[in-house]
Amino acid sequence: MADKTEHQQKKLTANVRAGGCAAKLGAAELAKILAHLPQKSPPELLAGIGNFEDAAVYKISDDIAIVQTIDFFPPVVDDPYLFGQIAATNALSDVYAMGGRPVIALNVLCFPTCDFDEQVLADILKGGSDQVEKAGAVIAGGHSIQLGEPVYGLAVTGLVKPAELLTNGGAKPFDKLILTKPLGAGIALLALKAEMLADSSRTALLNNLTQLNSTALDCGKKFDVHALTDVTGFGLAGHLHEMAKGSGLKCRISVDAIKTLPDVIELAQQGFVPAGAYGNRDSYKDSIAYLNKVELEMEDLIFDPQTSGGLLFSVKAEHADALLDELLGNGLGACLIGEMLEVDTNETRGLVEVSSG
Amino acid sequence: MERQIDLRGLTCPEPVLRTKKLLDDKSIIKVEALVESEVNVKNLARLARSQKVSMSCSNEGDFYRVVLTRAETEPLNALEELAIREAQKETNKQRVGTIVFISKDTLGEGDRDFSVSLLNVFLQTMFDAGHRPRAILMANSGVKLMDPGGSTLPVLSNFAEAGCEVLACGLCVEFYGLKGKVPADQITNMFSICEYLMNADRVITA
Repeated sequence: MADKTEHQQKKLTANVRAGGCAAKLGAAELAKILAHLPQKSPPELLAGIGNFEDAAVYKISDDIAIVQTIDFFPPVVDDPYLFGQIAATNALSDVYAMGGRPVIALNVLCFPTCDFDEQVLADILKGGSDQVEKAGAVIAGGHSIQLGEPVYGLAVTGLVKPAELLTNGGAKPFDKLILTKPLGAGIALLALKAEMLADSSRTALLNNLTQLNSTALDCGKKFDVHALTDVTGFGLAGHLHEMAKGSGLKCRISVDAIKTLPDVIELAQQGFVPAGAYGNRDSYKDSIAYLNKVELEMEDLIFDPQTSGGLLFSVKAEHADALLDELLGNGLGACLIGEMLEVDTNETRGLVEVSSG
Repeated sequence: MERQIDLRGLTCPEPVLRTKKLLDDKSIIKVEALVESEVNVKNLARLARSQKVSMSCSNEGDFYRVVLTRAETEPLNALEELAIREAQKETNKQRVGTIVFISKDTLGEGDRDFSVSLLNVFLQTMFDAGHRPRAILMANSGVKLMDPGGSTLPVLSNFAEAGCEVLACGLCVEFYGLKGKVPADQITNMFSICEYLMNADRVITA
């Protein structure tokens, strides 16, 4: 198969083992590696490597801080323009997840020019630049190298007022948890690769992946949001754990309240579960406490790595319904999935309580 | 009809997709698939469950041999149950947590009465300090802790009420003449004990 000379254009995802956020290193693996690196925290560094934050935040003055993030991955779809859009949406999201606004972005690109037309490259970059423009930011440069497998993403710089900075740490007891996008992108992308996805489900998936989290953040800013993150590679379970741990609390969610992309439950039941979901399950196995019987496919969904996932708000309980209405009113597939609660001990296991029914 | 398929070297989702296509053909009653990774096996287990076929898997060194069998004569609910049990076993495996393994009725060696009461103190302290291991497993003379007349039963009952599995080796219960005194649902076998210990995150021995 491999030795056959192919004059035909290769599929963009042809050699990709794990696309999108499923390509991420496992959380457990990463923590082990990072532990060997020296960690310094100058006082200006408002968010750094410590709590698995979405982006680094550096205070310039009392009025302004920069939000810095980078995100890139191999193709998740064969359409280059769409891949560019998805990768950019995903990278920009980390700035929103800190409560910030993106201002400039740099392209990060690896590309095998022998395997693909230049047009493919142009389309990827166009997709990225269109999303950056939609976000109200500009592409200000980038870096590209020749590599066997295409990889694309952005390094994004955003701005935030230090007083408006939202980390995954500030949640308060009895806050409600609101997720702004339906779950299941990892499963659906796998099914897309297998050509198992119906047209309508495919459209729903692609709309989901290219939906900027800017609208969701705008909605959130109108209410008392105490903590914020975006749900990406570590899956809902992983990001909930980081939020609970960072806030010194636990959380309790009901899988029945979770909105999912079309067909993903059936697909998970049939075994279209990405390797990243098993990796997350393994990394966060001690973090989850099942309060009652949760169906296997719903377990798979909470561990499913999300590419360009939604924001996860921990919002003051009294504001939860209004925020949810605001999000739904703006056409977002938001759902209220649970709440934050106090912990009785300093136990860091089982911080994510999951129930059904 | 039986089919064999070598799915090694294929990236996800190809292995599960190709197996599904075979199972969609109802004339095929048995599929033997060779796959490379554990992820493939787990995905095939989900497929088997959803298609209500039974599955067995053997590790052949650097690959796995997965056999999926459609048993049309057997009632479906039995198969479903089997698949659920498989799935539960997998879930259990993932979060076994801490196991306390007690293989004698004393804590350490020394004065017999003192060592017996020390074990009681050990368990009581563990309980009072709020530790809730996933299971407390007893073997050999350790099963004597389950003696209704003994002083350790109350603390073990506390653990059981708190949701810990408190289990005694059946062979040992019989050997020490405690059969009938230990509730049937707290009797286990060496296979389960092995599974617990091999899959535990942490084993505390006493």
